[in-house]
Amino acid sequence: MPPLQPPLPDDFAELCRERFGITDLPPEGPVVPRDQLVALATALKDELGYRFFVYCAASHHPKESQCQVAWRVRRLGKGTVSAPFRVIVPDGETCPTLSGVYAGADWQEREQYDLVGVVFDGHPDLRRLMLPEDWEGHPLRKDYAIDTHQFPWR
Amino acid sequence: MDHAHTPVPEAPAVKYVDMGGVRVPYELTQIPRVQPHRPLSEYEPEADALVVNMGPQHPSTHGVLRLKVWLDGEVCFKCVPYVGYLHRGVEKLLENRAYAQITPIVDKNDYVSPIINEIAINMAFEALLGVEVPERAKVLRTILAELQRVASHQLFMGTFALDLGGALGGGAAYFLYNFREREDVLDLFEMLTGGRFHYNTICVGGNRHDAPAGWTDQVKKVLDRLTSRLVEYRTFLEDNHIFHLRTKGVGIVDPLLAMECGAGGPILRASGVDYDMRRDAPYLAYDRVKMNIPVRTEGDCYARYMVRFEEVVASIDAVRQLIDDIPEGPICAVKPVRTLKSVLPKPGTAYVGIESPRGEIGTYVISDGTEKPYRVKIRPPSLHSASLLPYLCVGANVSDIVAILGSLDPILGEVDR
Repeated sequence: MPPLQPPLPDDFAELCRERFGITDLPPEGPVVPRDQLVALATALKDELGYRFFVYCAASHHPKESQCQVAWRVRRLGKGTVSAPFRVIVPDGETCPTLSGVYAGADWQEREQYDLVGVVFDGHPDLRRLMLPEDWEGHPLRKDYAIDTHQFPWR
Repeated sequence: MDHAHTPVPEAPAVKYVDMGGVRVPYELTQIPRVQPHRPLSEYEPEADALVVNMGPQHPSTHGVLRLKVWLDGEVCFKCVPYVGYLHRGVEKLLENRAYAQITPIVDKNDYVSPIINEIAINMAFEALLGVEVPERAKVLRTILAELQRVASHQLFMGTFALDLGGALGGGAAYFLYNFREREDVLDLFEMLTGGRFHYNTICVGGNRHDAPAGWTDQVKKVLDRLTSRLVEYRTFLEDNHIFHLRTKGVGIVDPLLAMECGAGGPILRASGVDYDMRRDAPYLAYDRVKMNIPVRTEGDCYARYMVRFEEVVASIDAVRQLIDDIPEGPICAVKPVRTLKSVLPKPGTAYVGIESPRGEIGTYVISDGTEKPYRVKIRPPSLHSASLLPYLCVGANVSDIVAILGSLDPILGEVDR
């Protein structure tokens, strides 16, 4: 059985510590300052070989009035390891896009924008992915009740 | 009957470059990358553009996917996919259900390989809880996953022949042959779980149903029959000249682009990347199995078909290695779930990814310590492979788009969730 969260890969932890000065490295991924996100992802992909895009998952935390966006990228090969990292986006602010680094982040960020309402700054084509263009609200936000009155079949 | 193959000419040596842990064929990385967001005004103004909506109800889209393609003559120069027609709000639904209630909902995501959805999400919950699954359940899960892979790939092989349609004499014969054998595999699932499609057999901590008497013998019988039929299936398409014309050199996937998009599984292996989580990061009982991982270096539709074909053979082999010594013992580590609060993880997050027939399927869970998950993100492999479409369709004929779409094998229930 896999452990709850495997520890961060050594080279990723070293990169965070040495170059970005991030000392808090929990197994679910370090919190990266928003202005360093693209630099970190570029270094991960081009220097350390984490080329496989696993996921981008945003979650809404109304108590802290913020959203958290979590990414994970993977280095393929024997004994594959993955590098998770997170970004905290306060309400009303934007998150930098990774679609310039990982082409697959394009659709994933559109999905998170659609469902959670995180705006990705600099995204080339930030439209809704799943819901119709005229849908109101972002369903995965905690303040969006499950029985919100909006008919999908209009 | 002797099915002699035409001798295959010696393949030229492939040049590889090292790309962080794996090596990729150099030639495929040199394909110029399409710019999917180039505005229409930048294209040649004389292009006599015809805008065609393929779908949402087009038989080749395997569900409801709309491809808006701009055509110059018969060649596509821009393609924008629209997904979401099957969006059911699964992730929102899961946030409002207890952990014990979730398995039957995720069955319907990838409705071609439901057992792999169940295993993926329950492994994430088990990681969150810190439960160790008994050996017998692990082996049973592995066998079920491999049987499901056989059934899933058979559906792909059959529908791919249908997509290519007329050129193969309708393709319906091959389709029906594949479905005949697929029925046998589904019967095995019915014997074990009572359901042919939506099993609800994996629970947190183990399995719900044990193998009934005579099940292993039936599995062996079905696999023997399938193996003898596969010889026949090879001759259907592998050496078919028209099939070669339709699929060879069509929709070549750059492995670096596929990695960036997160498209894994057979798509990556058909582009020369020797990587499979079942061998490289073994989970369940895959450490007991010697997996044969087929890899091809062409990266086109033909390579993807052949990789999936060989994976059927490899999966049959894997089941044969396991079926004779399933360990005795319990099949569930925790008591069968009776109340909604019986699964109560501590606050935390977990991510577990496993190999589905379409790539890496995974679940990212955030728990806040209550009986319901705070946030569940399902990583659907089909969404990631469908995001390759704007890159692959440019420069292809309309009929090639059908072949490309079919060879990526996206399941729209999983794309849209």
